[in-house]
Amino acid sequence: MTYATNEPHLVVCVKVVPKPEEVRVDPQSRRLDRAGARSEINPPDLNAVEFALQIKDRFGGKVSILSMGPPFFEPYLRICLAMGADHVYLLSDRLFGGADTLATTYTLAQAVRRLEPVDLVLCGEESSDGATGQVPPGLAEWLGYQQITLVNDIEMDMSRRTVRGRRERQGGYEILEVPLPAVISVKTGCNEPRFWDYRLKPWAFAPERVTVWSASDMDVDPEFIGLAGSPTQVVGLEQAPSRERKRIMLSGSPQEVAQQLAARLREVLPLVP
Amino acid sequence: MTQVEHLTVDDARWDTLFERTRGAVALCYQCGVCTALCPWGQVREGKPLSVRSLLRRAQLGVPDDHEDIWLCTACAQCESLCPRGVPVAEVFQSLRGMAWEERRVPKGLPSVLWSIYWNNNPWSQPPSHRSRWAKGLEVPRFDPSEHEVLYYVGCTAAYDRRAQKVARALVKLFQAAGVRFGTLGDEEPCCGDAAKSLGYTPYFEEIVQNAAQVFAQNGVRRLVATSPHCFDTFRNYAPRYQADFEAEHYTQFLDRCLSEGRLRFSREVPLRVTFHDPCFLGRRNDEYEAPRRILDAIPGLERVEMARSRQDALCCGGGGGRMWMETSAGERFANLRVQDALATGVQVLVTACPFCIACFEESVKAVGAPNLRVMDVAELAAMAIE
Amino acid sequence: MATSLYGASEAQDVICVFLEREGDTLQRVSLELLSKGRELADEVGWKLAGLLLGYYRMLPLMGQAFEVGADEIWVAEHPLLKTFTVEAYTSAAFQVIMNRKPSIFLCGATPNGRDLAGRLAVKLRTGLTADCTDLRMREGGILVGEVTGFGGGVLALIKTPQHRPQMATVRPGVFPLKPPRTERVSRAVEIISVTLDEAQVRTRVVEQVVGRGADITQSPVVVVGGRGIQGRFDLLRQLAELLGGEVGATRPPVDSGQIERERQVGQTGVVCRPKVAIVCGASGAFQFTVGIQHADTVIAINTDPEAPIFETADYGVVGDALQIVPALIEALRNSRVAVTSG
Repeated sequence: MTYATNEPHLVVCVKVVPKPEEVRVDPQSRRLDRAGARSEINPPDLNAVEFALQIKDRFGGKVSILSMGPPFFEPYLRICLAMGADHVYLLSDRLFGGADTLATTYTLAQAVRRLEPVDLVLCGEESSDGATGQVPPGLAEWLGYQQITLVNDIEMDMSRRTVRGRRERQGGYEILEVPLPAVISVKTGCNEPRFWDYRLKPWAFAPERVTVWSASDMDVDPEFIGLAGSPTQVVGLEQAPSRERKRIMLSGSPQEVAQQLAARLREVLPLVP
Repeated sequence: MTQVEHLTVDDARWDTLFERTRGAVALCYQCGVCTALCPWGQVREGKPLSVRSLLRRAQLGVPDDHEDIWLCTACAQCESLCPRGVPVAEVFQSLRGMAWEERRVPKGLPSVLWSIYWNNNPWSQPPSHRSRWAKGLEVPRFDPSEHEVLYYVGCTAAYDRRAQKVARALVKLFQAAGVRFGTLGDEEPCCGDAAKSLGYTPYFEEIVQNAAQVFAQNGVRRLVATSPHCFDTFRNYAPRYQADFEAEHYTQFLDRCLSEGRLRFSREVPLRVTFHDPCFLGRRNDEYEAPRRILDAIPGLERVEMARSRQDALCCGGGGGRMWMETSAGERFANLRVQDALATGVQVLVTACPFCIACFEESVKAVGAPNLRVMDVAELAAMAIE
Repeated sequence: MATSLYGASEAQDVICVFLEREGDTLQRVSLELLSKGRELADEVGWKLAGLLLGYYRMLPLMGQAFEVGADEIWVAEHPLLKTFTVEAYTSAAFQVIMNRKPSIFLCGATPNGRDLAGRLAVKLRTGLTADCTDLRMREGGILVGEVTGFGGGVLALIKTPQHRPQMATVRPGVFPLKPPRTERVSRAVEIISVTLDEAQVRTRVVEQVVGRGADITQSPVVVVGGRGIQGRFDLLRQLAELLGGEVGATRPPVDSGQIERERQVGQTGVVCRPKVAIVCGASGAFQFTVGIQHADTVIAINTDPEAPIFETADYGVVGDALQIVPALIEALRNSRVAVTSG
């Protein structure tokens, strides 16, 4: 066995999202107004990048950042390079636009195929814009990879070619092991992403660090990408009620207040008796 | 038997440190005044922060993964009497900088830098909420053709509910003095003090340069800052990056308003108070008198000094990035400082820094002194106007 | 446009709910979905089916499902379905769905439910509306799911017009559990055989630990004690246990050694993101509130009506936490008794 086979190729799926509190629904057009919103790397994705870099610290190998989105994602994705990742692949094409989970996972999977051999694909738990958490299993299905979702700790064994993930369960935890290649989704906040390294920054911003693939650069079936490949349709958008704290004061005897609190808890917690 | 510690000397490390401190670290001749003066000696019996030996190790290029490098609060107590003029806090920051490069950083600190990066503040607060502190007040957006001065609120006064009261008091005072001022609202840049204190200097430089640029684009020639930390950054570091504006702490600005007769205190504030010099206003920027003159101009207010004040004032413990690190219960300078204040028998411990307020308010509760109030100079001054 | 494996013309007028088991009972979310599914099915005159995968002791589970309104239960039994693995469950569910061709497939957004739904949707080449906060039935049997995005700031209505089944996942607790409907007569159990290969199942459970590894950053409920609870963390622990949560603390109780430093919430402690944070006897210093700002709901109890904690709370109670917490524990316990006996 050569040393090189022990060096994993890790792919991290990263998305750039608008800061949630700055997104508005235009009351007239009923469309999403994210023009004024600042963007950031989807915070859970940074937890996934950190895990990939920890694996790289230990085993060496290569960390590829994979993202699908408009060209403005690019400078954000380069921050992952300044954290220690090796290369960015940005899937950018108008034809990819309007993709739902099915089309997104298909497109990402086709890119992963192109990047193979791949040992591990890491994703954040969910994106703050869509918040569905359905990309990791969908991706695993397209690729025929194993999956472990919502892990807060991972351990790779490159000689046995397995990965173990610990995930919290109601009142405890479990450790699952699957053979590589696998898709892992990482629980939000389970590690502290390292800050970007100023020494890597100039390197990270060199043009050749980012490869942009359009649909024609990839082996994709046009029927499966973008709006065309998306079975779901958005039929309406509304601004949700304000997320400001309600600041409602409850009053009464301890027993009365307790009844009111119990009722509130039942509203927000499914498991409360 | 004597235990001998084996140390590895690393010339490259020494070279780096020498370069980053512009040679200053070489000045130390190991007299030990710094260790004797360091406030950590007052809270850590038997295991003070040995500034002297840390400097010696640094001079030898001994790799230092010592947790002690994160203790320094940058209070400048040691620097004030160092016979060789060693900028000790800067040496500590350089050592921290090396720790960042070697990824030996206490938990929680990368998140502080990320917060500045994504949120433009070190407190993980949404950037779009930055100007909420001013809700209900008339605070215009800065316009160079109309305004004489930019009020630089700063991250802590913008988001910390306690410190917001100081910012609101200041607005009241500016209005009373007829000051033509504006703020940059949500666009106000972070000063980068946290990044500097935590030793991530290259990023700090980026932040200050960016801030200077934002000020230039907005035609800012003069700014007044709430926090001595922001003030220190803008006064002492921004000029290194071709910044073309003047920075003042608000106590200096109000003091001038008083002397020029723009601001007048007419209401009695019958309180007995003592003033605590924030390190970044006093020792770091030599401003001891402006806050005292403001307090002394308030009718009915009686001011007394604590046993150690001005150059000798004890640090609150919040500088040097310590606001973002945990200090164990028995080791907080602020507890001692509250005792200092209690010894004078005052009703109010006054200061002029949001970090000092946070530390003191916590310590007032910890030492069980519910009758001692912690206030900002601006809050007392605002009580004195109609 | 790519099509799903079966289309609207082939799909049957059935809503299928995935029945997730937990030991010898069905997960509550599965029952909630059956309740909602019953309502939706009745609107258009469709049938409601439950999909039950497993190996043994399936009968009591079926009883539960019928009670809340299922017309039929589709059962697939296989040794490899004894415990959940995403490979075996996806494969079995896929085979049953292809056999029955339901128009709608609903699944609880539990960790396993999400794993299953995510893979299944791709296998079936259909649309999945995940984490719905509401489901509505439109004309012609079109399911519209309401989802939130952007940290809850935006509501979107989503449908899958052409692909079948229309898939949706729903978090536990979104829909109420309706009382059992006894008048139903049709109660059919259909056993559908599935082919599974042991070689498909490659997930190995290395370890399963119950009751340990409590991680307050991941807990759905955090009960935080401040100086005002005078060290009575035993009370808070009772409340947290009742709510399936963990106990946290502000700095002062940690300082005085009443509780471990690992449980300190705030800027220099941990930042948690629970559904509910109950803050007892803490004034609400900024450095602390940073640690609970991501909580969906904040409840604050403090004797001082001026305490800043009330400004960052959804529900505030001015009073002594040492009186209110026991009363709350009592209230929660009593209602539990009421539920099980009623």
